[in-house]
Amino acid sequence: MEQPKSKEVTRLNLLLATLAVGTLAVAVWTLITDMFKAGVDDLFLVLTCLLLSLVFGINPLIWAYNNGWLRNPFKESEEEPAGNLEAAHMEEAHGGSNTQNAVVWGVLLGLTALEVFLAYEKVDLTLMLIILMGLSIVKAALIMSYFMHLKFERLSLILTIVPTLIVLLCLFAILFPDSFRIFRLAGK
Amino acid sequence: MAEARAGSLASDWSGGTLPYRVGHRKLGMWLFIMSDSLTFGSLLVAYAFVRVSSKAWPTPFPFSPSITFSSIMTLVLLSSSLTMVFAVAAAKHGRKIAARKWIAATMLFGLTFVVLHLFEWKHLIDEGLLPTELPAKWLDTWPSASPLFGAAFFGITGLHMFHVFSGVCYLGVIAARIKKFTSEDVEVSGLYWHFVDLVWMFVFPLIYLLSVDYTPGG
Repeated sequence: MEQPKSKEVTRLNLLLATLAVGTLAVAVWTLITDMFKAGVDDLFLVLTCLLLSLVFGINPLIWAYNNGWLRNPFKESEEEPAGNLEAAHMEEAHGGSNTQNAVVWGVLLGLTALEVFLAYEKVDLTLMLIILMGLSIVKAALIMSYFMHLKFERLSLILTIVPTLIVLLCLFAILFPDSFRIFRLAGK
Repeated sequence: MAEARAGSLASDWSGGTLPYRVGHRKLGMWLFIMSDSLTFGSLLVAYAFVRVSSKAWPTPFPFSPSITFSSIMTLVLLSSSLTMVFAVAAAKHGRKIAARKWIAATMLFGLTFVVLHLFEWKHLIDEGLLPTELPAKWLDTWPSASPLFGAAFFGITGLHMFHVFSGVCYLGVIAARIKKFTSEDVEVSGLYWHFVDLVWMFVFPLIYLLSVDYTPGG
């Protein structure tokens, strides 16, 4: 399709790419110069920068891919068989089958059981927080992609919704070190 | 498939087409879910903040009965999501009566969740937990523990319970007048219901599992 506004598209993508590279550079710079001397502060700064870099980077990457400057490293074969495409299209139209959703439900139950088991074992609180947050994000991703059909929607809709949730994780990462600081300052 | 999707992204936004290929109701529900996830997200972040910045924080839930009880609640809510998936699938295939039955099952699970949760609340209130106050017994175990535990607990689980309750009412309207609604309406109500389930997947570990009793013998 002819792109009537290709100049704007180029500029916007270059801006986004600059932001992505910039945030990535901040993350790398923090790692090199500080080596986690500031503890939690550094950890969460790096995490936030990486997440933001991801959000900024999605669009330029897709743009570069569409222009043929970038090859998909995950691509298996040049030509997909026609039957496969047909099946993929059918799946896109109807979403997952009931069996598939039941399997997802089973996996969600299993992950929950694992979480409860961790609580039963009384794993160390910090370790438990990390594991629980990780498992919760996996469970949220499963619910969103299969139960809420996000996996079968247009890429445009996915790319509109998911960055919001990533920014939410950034909010957590930005505020968490602050609570440690308040504790340290008020402790004495 | 991924290639085809990435390739269509640019043409989605060059005008003359609906970029998302979903109806306005569904898009509206997704936008609501985004804003609502920010609401719950900020509440959970605030909870994490006050918990870390407090001198002492109670971890009052014994594994049995509190954690097992809330695990059963989780099971109920997860199962309600599965029945909702079946309802949406039935509606999509035009089997509206079957869809109504599945929605009724979902509502039953939802109501069970609310009732179980209210039992839990009553138990804690009887123990002396208030949004502004901890039970005297807890203060013996965790001296100078922050009373914000009650505020965080009742605030977050209360808002979630309100969402479950509104969801049951919403599903009730959909089920009662299912002949007039399209399958997209059922799907949109399903989106809301799954979101409520999704929020619980964060509330349950953060509020309950991270409050399991760590004191010896607890």
